[in-house]
Amino acid sequence: MEKELTIDILSSVQKPARYTGGEYASIVKKPEEIEVTIALAFPDVYEVGMSYLGFKILYHLLNKEAGVAAERVYAPWIDMEAKMREHKIPLRTLETEKALSECDFIGFTLQYELTYSNILNMLDLGGVPLLAAERDDEAPFVLVGGPCIFNPEPLADFFDIGIIGDGEEIMVELMNCYKTWKKAGKPGGRQGFLQDAVKLKGIYVPSYYSVKYNEDWTVNAVEPLYKDAPAIVEKRVVKDINTVDFPTDPIVPFSEIVHDRIMLEVFRGCSRGCRFCHAGMVYRPVRERRPEVVKELARKLVDNTGYNEISMVSLSTADYSCLGPVVHDLISEFKDEKVSVSLPSLRIDSFSVDIAKEVQQVRKSGLTFAPEAGSQKMRDVINKGVTEADLMSATKAAFESGWKAVKLYFMIGLPQEKDEDILAIADLAKKVQNNYFEVTGKRGCKVTVSVSSFVPKPYTAFQWFGQNDIETLHHKQYLLKDALKVKNITYQYHDAKTSVIEAVFARGDRRLGKALLAAWRKGARFDGWTDCFSYDIWQEAMAEAGLDIDFYAARERGENEAFPWEHVQPAVARRFLWHEWQKAQKQQLTHDCRRDSCTGCGVCPKLGVDIIDWKDGAQ
Amino acid sequence: MKLRMQITKDRNIRFISHLEYIRTIERAIRRAKLPAAYSEGFNPHMKFSLASALGVGVVSYTEFVEIELMEPMEVAVAAKALSRALPRGIRVLAADAVENNHPALMAEAAGAVYRVTLPYTEDLGEVVERYNATPSIIFAKAAPKKKNKVKEIDVKFYIPELKVQQVEEHTVFNFDCKITPTGSMKAVDLLNTLNEQYALNLPVEKADIERLELYKRGKAGQKQIMLMKDAFHL
Repeated sequence: MEKELTIDILSSVQKPARYTGGEYASIVKKPEEIEVTIALAFPDVYEVGMSYLGFKILYHLLNKEAGVAAERVYAPWIDMEAKMREHKIPLRTLETEKALSECDFIGFTLQYELTYSNILNMLDLGGVPLLAAERDDEAPFVLVGGPCIFNPEPLADFFDIGIIGDGEEIMVELMNCYKTWKKAGKPGGRQGFLQDAVKLKGIYVPSYYSVKYNEDWTVNAVEPLYKDAPAIVEKRVVKDINTVDFPTDPIVPFSEIVHDRIMLEVFRGCSRGCRFCHAGMVYRPVRERRPEVVKELARKLVDNTGYNEISMVSLSTADYSCLGPVVHDLISEFKDEKVSVSLPSLRIDSFSVDIAKEVQQVRKSGLTFAPEAGSQKMRDVINKGVTEADLMSATKAAFESGWKAVKLYFMIGLPQEKDEDILAIADLAKKVQNNYFEVTGKRGCKVTVSVSSFVPKPYTAFQWFGQNDIETLHHKQYLLKDALKVKNITYQYHDAKTSVIEAVFARGDRRLGKALLAAWRKGARFDGWTDCFSYDIWQEAMAEAGLDIDFYAARERGENEAFPWEHVQPAVARRFLWHEWQKAQKQQLTHDCRRDSCTGCGVCPKLGVDIIDWKDGAQ
Repeated sequence: MKLRMQITKDRNIRFISHLEYIRTIERAIRRAKLPAAYSEGFNPHMKFSLASALGVGVVSYTEFVEIELMEPMEVAVAAKALSRALPRGIRVLAADAVENNHPALMAEAAGAVYRVTLPYTEDLGEVVERYNATPSIIFAKAAPKKKNKVKEIDVKFYIPELKVQQVEEHTVFNFDCKITPTGSMKAVDLLNTLNEQYALNLPVEKADIERLELYKRGKAGQKQIMLMKDAFHL
């Protein structure tokens, strides 16, 4: 082996265990077993990347395939990057310590736009040419997937293949496709493989498309350049998640990671139809896991990991049709083993006293509710479908069951928002505190108000909306800060500038590739980390690329504007989204289609799938 | 009963911290389904402990864990079960069982044997002779968790004698380090002391530190192994 991470390097960086692997249940295959190596690359630090369920699923699933070695790589923190560059040590996988340049595939997940600079940095550290056009036959194929794949265009210069939608089936198909191509002697070289791959459903090869622009800078048309490249790439969807493997022996890290517990997915998709929510649109339809399967998986996961907490995860766990009985059964089964059950952020209209009491039995964990907006008007604009009364009854249930603190999530910068709507957030937080007093007769309830600045995302009803500019967001942040100077209320908010750059990339086009490259060259790294983010770098990079931040972030789009991302589709109809956008202006609600009539988003008929709901044991 | 096992912290995981090592063992005990006892209370914790803390970067062939069990279990069965449940870098070497009222390993540990290997070629024979002949060397070490505060320790109290030899391009130190109920000292601080005291340039950051043995002392002060003589060996 060439240059290694030596003792002096590892002892000089923070958290060296991030870089040394060897965790329980990590899978190291022998060289003679391996036909194809894929590095599952998470463009953030180890603790964040190890918490990502999607990669736990793919790691398990791909390693079960004969001949496939799925390995892991994370973004080295700033201190380690400096050491690696100083000693010319390439970025390697944790399992077999292959440099990224020696892998067959590097698969990045796109969780968040502000990790894009890390993708470039990891490729560079791994010895892989940054631009897809500059990769020769020896270079690995760079894959991207995950939620932000529904606008992959800002990264189009840098990746070879996009994986659109659920990865369980398509990733195995892609690996098989590669094995066949390799066995045949790699006919046609790099292009030969891309031509084979593009025939698979859900595969997007950006170099096979050309983009024409209008004089006003908007997109005119995106057209395929190659006969087998489909004009529209629709997402892959696993029809029934009960039929695909869920990992029961995930890696158990040595160090504490962000979600350091069993993550058990109870369903995929959400049909509540919140108008700001990207995940709620791109992961449709709702597909529940059968309660018996959930319980069986929980048993295996507890046995195999030794974790003492099971988190039941999904986009909205309180909506799981069998939540009450399943939580009850899990708690009684695992109580003697000191294993607790926890629920992530909950909808306030689904949270019941019963569930609160159940979860409370083993260990007190934090309780987070997401009203999202302070006033009823705003909650109607975003189609949240909850009321102040819901929040009061949910928090009452929580306080009666012994909770003394709650965390509330809100957004600011939403369409139609006025100062009074911002102040309503403060009022709501105070009402929750008062509610505690009424329930318990005591003061001292701790309320954490966590506020993020809204970023309009593609394939949502708000994809037409012009984001609030920095000054407006600052005004709203400070307005709320003043209104929340109350004892026992903690106010958390983020730098508005990061939200603006996030918005640029969320709805950006291919021309942003130049700005991304320039920003990385100027040192952009870990842009999602407030301490690392530099707005100046991004302003300079955008200017050098001849691009305008406001054009992408703050500009309201017209009804008929063609969007740069529409050739990659989650199958949600544009007319449905436009109709939702119109209803938002009128503060009209749209119901959940799950147990009511179809609301016409178009996903089920288009993809030939159905909602899978285990309420009353029937679909 | 208390189950006691001698375990390792191998080279490939040397950079995990003591806290991470403890968490890993706790989860392995749960995976192995050993009937561990828990404390009472709202947040019950498993009754297990390690004989001695080990610094980040230090390899060890001689860590000891003791686990209080709710019900007795055959030592060999327990040792094999835990062995299977541990990650690759932690191996079970030996195990025994004692009564709950037996003194804790932590209280018994009296000393550790270290080997420190450095890429360094100058002859240190004379320096080591002077070290060994000196009655006391005070070293100001950084106090744990307190910024800008130092604690003065007498290095000679903990490490009375050093042995040194040259092996090809490397200098190898062998020594015993005393462990007392109030603590011990880090092997790396010995190197810092030598640099400070004798104006050396030992490349401390490159030191390969291994803990070879951990022992207790008998009534006459003689070294004794931590586990019973008839301990089960894997």
